[in-house]
Amino acid sequence: MITEFLQRLLLLVMFCLAQVLVFNRIHVFNCASPLLYVYFAIIFPRSYPRWAILLWCFTLGVMIDAFSNTPGVASASLTLTGALQPVLLELFLPRDADDKLKVSASTLGIGKFVSLSSLLTFIFCLVFFSLEAFSFFDWLYWLECVVGNTLLTLILIYTFECFRR
Amino acid sequence: MHNLLAFLTKYYHWLIFLFLEVVSGVMLFKYNSYQGSVWISSANAVVGKVYEWQSGVWHFFSLSVRSEQLTQRNLFLEEEVLRLRQRLADVTADTSLLMKRELDSLSRYELIPARVVNNSVHRMDNLITIDKGSVDGVKTDMGVACGTGVVGVVYLTSDHYSVVLPVLNHLSHISVTIRNCGYFGYLTWQGGNPMFAYVEDVPRHARFQKGDWIETSGYSNIFPSGISVGKIVDINDSEDGLSYRLKVHLSTDFSRLRDVCVITEQGFAERMELKEAAIDSLNVRQ
Repeated sequence: MITEFLQRLLLLVMFCLAQVLVFNRIHVFNCASPLLYVYFAIIFPRSYPRWAILLWCFTLGVMIDAFSNTPGVASASLTLTGALQPVLLELFLPRDADDKLKVSASTLGIGKFVSLSSLLTFIFCLVFFSLEAFSFFDWLYWLECVVGNTLLTLILIYTFECFRR
Repeated sequence: MHNLLAFLTKYYHWLIFLFLEVVSGVMLFKYNSYQGSVWISSANAVVGKVYEWQSGVWHFFSLSVRSEQLTQRNLFLEEEVLRLRQRLADVTADTSLLMKRELDSLSRYELIPARVVNNSVHRMDNLITIDKGSVDGVKTDMGVACGTGVVGVVYLTSDHYSVVLPVLNHLSHISVTIRNCGYFGYLTWQGGNPMFAYVEDVPRHARFQKGDWIETSGYSNIFPSGISVGKIVDINDSEDGLSYRLKVHLSTDFSRLRDVCVITEQGFAERMELKEAAIDSLNVRQ
């Protein structure tokens, strides 16, 4: 229990640092930068307590917000993603799935993992950029951001997924 | 009652979800009145420290290029000072005059050198974090400039770090003027290319041309007058057709910003008090 908690805490810090020190500095075509930390919300195992998923996601969101000066934006969207993850995961589970199934391409199958991660990433990016664009609405730019960021984030997630055990 | 308890135990995670979303919402909207948000911003001490380490590493690797640029700039400025001094000496036959004037104009201001520890240029609303805070004498609404021109205005401060609202933020409205011409407008940015901004509200009868320099006007009391902003590259009509809208190539390269100065003026605190008192009295009247 304690080791699991510490492992996840380490993962949280690593995702946060990777995002603020590396990925926040990548800008493709002036609008797309990978938001890899959504991966943290996607890979919670089945039957992980929902309240814990929410608290983890909210904490990571607040940390990212503090670093990138976007109070509330990342925390709200990541908490929503964390709330939807268990619901959507049930839809994509194989019939004889283990109760403590870990979410990855090898356990779910590539097709289902791609669907699950694309859906969650898209929802996350949609909410994130809608909240961010609140005061400054330019729908074309907003659309570019949502689509561009979703694609770039997914490419990175699949790259990391290839190297995961 | 029993049913309510059963409902709560079954769906309590949705209640947590709602609570966390409300907290996020409060953070999101509270940011508009920015005083309360120092903790969840890069002015926070922990966040500032991490960014400081990172920028230290980053700057180390770009030192040689920077030093070359600074040497060039220094040479250019030295030449210019020499040229101007000679010119002044020719005109007035008094070589000490320029020095005295320079010192006079700068003595009203105190410059606090600071280093940029975090910076963005590609977002819709960019913010810059610098490594000087209220302990070093930085206060909100002070101007920030660098060697090549204007940077922005201090937006919020913590003890050791401050967040600056740069020109590349749609909330930024800096009062500017066309050099040697006197017509003034205000500088805005509408997203997109970080090298270009716009000057709005330049009167129709103003006479100027492409390539003229834009500088701070000094009316806003945040910046002294005469700090370079950029060069006019395009002249358009404003949307209502009543004034000109100038596209300006900014002289500050925000994507390579490193060393900046916070400009504080003697009597700054006094003037801010006066301004607040004036606003308060207007509110009372309304």
